[in-house]
Amino acid sequence: MKFTSTTALGLVLGAAMGTTAFASDGKLDIVFINDGHVAPYHVAWLSGFEDAIAAYDTAFPDTKITGRWLSAEGSLEKMIQQAEVTINEKPDVMFVNAINVDAFEPLVAKAKAAGIVWIAVHSPMESADYSFTLGDVENGKNQGLAMCALSGGKPFNVAIMLGQAGNPSGDARHQGILEGIKTCDNVKVVAEQPADWDTVKAQTLAENWMTQFPDLNAISGVTDGYMYPSIAIAANSGRTDLQFYGYDGDIPIIQQMEGGQVKADILLSGTREGWNFVQMAYRIHMGQEVEKVYDFFTPLVMSDENYALALKNGFPADIEVYNVAKALDVAAKGDIEFGPDSVK
Amino acid sequence: MTSISTSTTPRLSGLSLRYLVLLGLIVIASVGFGLANENFYSLTNFGILLRSIAVLFLVSMGMTFVMLTGGIDLSVGSNVAFSGGVGVITLTTTGSAPLGFAAAVLAGMAIGAINGVFIGRLRLSAFMVSLATYALARGLALVIYDANSINVSNAAFLWLGGVSWGSMPVVIPFVVVVFVGLSVLLYNTPFGRNVYAAGANFNTSFVLGRRPERTLVWIYVLSGALAGLSAIVTVGRVSSGQPWSGLYLEFDAITAVILGGTSLFGGRGRLLGTILGVLLYGIIINGLVLTGTNPYLQSLIKGMILLGVVLLDTWTQRGKTS
Repeated sequence: MKFTSTTALGLVLGAAMGTTAFASDGKLDIVFINDGHVAPYHVAWLSGFEDAIAAYDTAFPDTKITGRWLSAEGSLEKMIQQAEVTINEKPDVMFVNAINVDAFEPLVAKAKAAGIVWIAVHSPMESADYSFTLGDVENGKNQGLAMCALSGGKPFNVAIMLGQAGNPSGDARHQGILEGIKTCDNVKVVAEQPADWDTVKAQTLAENWMTQFPDLNAISGVTDGYMYPSIAIAANSGRTDLQFYGYDGDIPIIQQMEGGQVKADILLSGTREGWNFVQMAYRIHMGQEVEKVYDFFTPLVMSDENYALALKNGFPADIEVYNVAKALDVAAKGDIEFGPDSVK
Repeated sequence: MTSISTSTTPRLSGLSLRYLVLLGLIVIASVGFGLANENFYSLTNFGILLRSIAVLFLVSMGMTFVMLTGGIDLSVGSNVAFSGGVGVITLTTTGSAPLGFAAAVLAGMAIGAINGVFIGRLRLSAFMVSLATYALARGLALVIYDANSINVSNAAFLWLGGVSWGSMPVVIPFVVVVFVGLSVLLYNTPFGRNVYAAGANFNTSFVLGRRPERTLVWIYVLSGALAGLSAIVTVGRVSSGQPWSGLYLEFDAITAVILGGTSLFGGRGRLLGTILGVLLYGIIINGLVLTGTNPYLQSLIKGMILLGVVLLDTWTQRGKTS
């Protein structure tokens, strides 16, 4: 990276604002290391990231913007190897969705020494330059509050599908859901079990629970990946009364909200997140102020009808809720919120 | 008088041909990746490459012994997590790195002993038994870690997996020492001959008094011990004990051992082939990351290489038979 007067100015301004600036030798190389690449959320995430790279590169011809993603396929050792190889390549920014952040502390130090901006994804790291977080506890709580408001005040049994044991994001979502449910007396958690982010395990759990608990009223999950098999099994077994509360904002799940059994979802949307990564990297590149712990905006999604009912039943009016149409729009088009126009 | 002349044209054995092919593939892959990205040849990258496959070297050598007997050990990855947990907890409890090392290796051997007794003594299916201990060891790891990682700062405990001399990770000379030791055990001791005999024909070996059931127990204990050593290296590499470490490691090890020419049916193969198999596998993984190959394609490429080698194996075996 050439050291120019622009660079010096950027560094001074960046330091004053508490930001990391590394402008500019006319290039911005972004690498995203993820823990997987086959779940529907991952596919949308990686594809949003690729689309955003192309859009930003076209919109800002003065900067050659490149990016690539790697998948560790769930293996900690593979992720570490990928991070080591990537650091040796010296990109400008690394987004790392670490399987366990403690294992990456030595690599953050190496990346910093190589002048690479390290952005910890989902699980915050004190040592990272930035952390891209989801507000998992708050989101989970909102899901729980929605369940309380839509449970109708009668005894209401819910089973919760958790993430992989020890995964900070999954644990935070779980904690939030329980906090939300705690605010009402009628909702009872009859079962909770990790499904390890695995749709096949989720399917087995859903089958068992529907048999074991004939009076089950709802299935809650820490990812929409669990909703697909659960909804299918409920439909096949004629359980049209069962409610579903999801987390991720997957488009096919949101599409099932109008008049369907999915009552609420948390709008992450992989597409939005992929676009937000590139926007964030570009803002850092340009020396703009970015919070060290950056919270991804993740509203709750409910149909208009359910939202009205929830408000009537005491759902807090200050929680941001998108209706289905708006959620589908922003979930599909990451550029609406995070496109090049958002930083011009 | 009729003179009879004998021709002694040297012929390559199946395994030698395999090693030549592997060496050729290693050279081709290295040249290709080097042309695609000049960083491939950097000393730093060699260090990264060697460090990343050190654990695979260790568990694959153990897997070679297991597969030479016609068995399989699906528990090695989970065993790395479990024995690492036992080692780290012993370290944090006692403050003693040697005790931590010993605990990790003994824990690995304990899982190996369970495999060995059920497979060797009770003659149960290696696949089923090690599938059970695969789940058992991972479950134990999650329980003892309480599903959370444990940070480690003891310099002595981290030395093997975390320190490099220049670009050379110290674990590599250690791997070489283990390789030499295991080679002596396999090729120069009665135990080694029993390993091949048990894999070639268990019943014949039994009738000949070679006690293959006892050999099998020790083979799985050895595989467990190497998983324990791998756990120490892994903890050193990431400065922490991790309940999810070693995930899918068994599949990488099996792939590398098959690449190296060890027969899935036992009785045939050598440690050198495994070393070459691990090296080729590591170079491919490293090169694919370095060249930014699309991860969807990476799986495809890895699958095609393995399929190609299996086809080659079948072809050389048929050639040998005919």
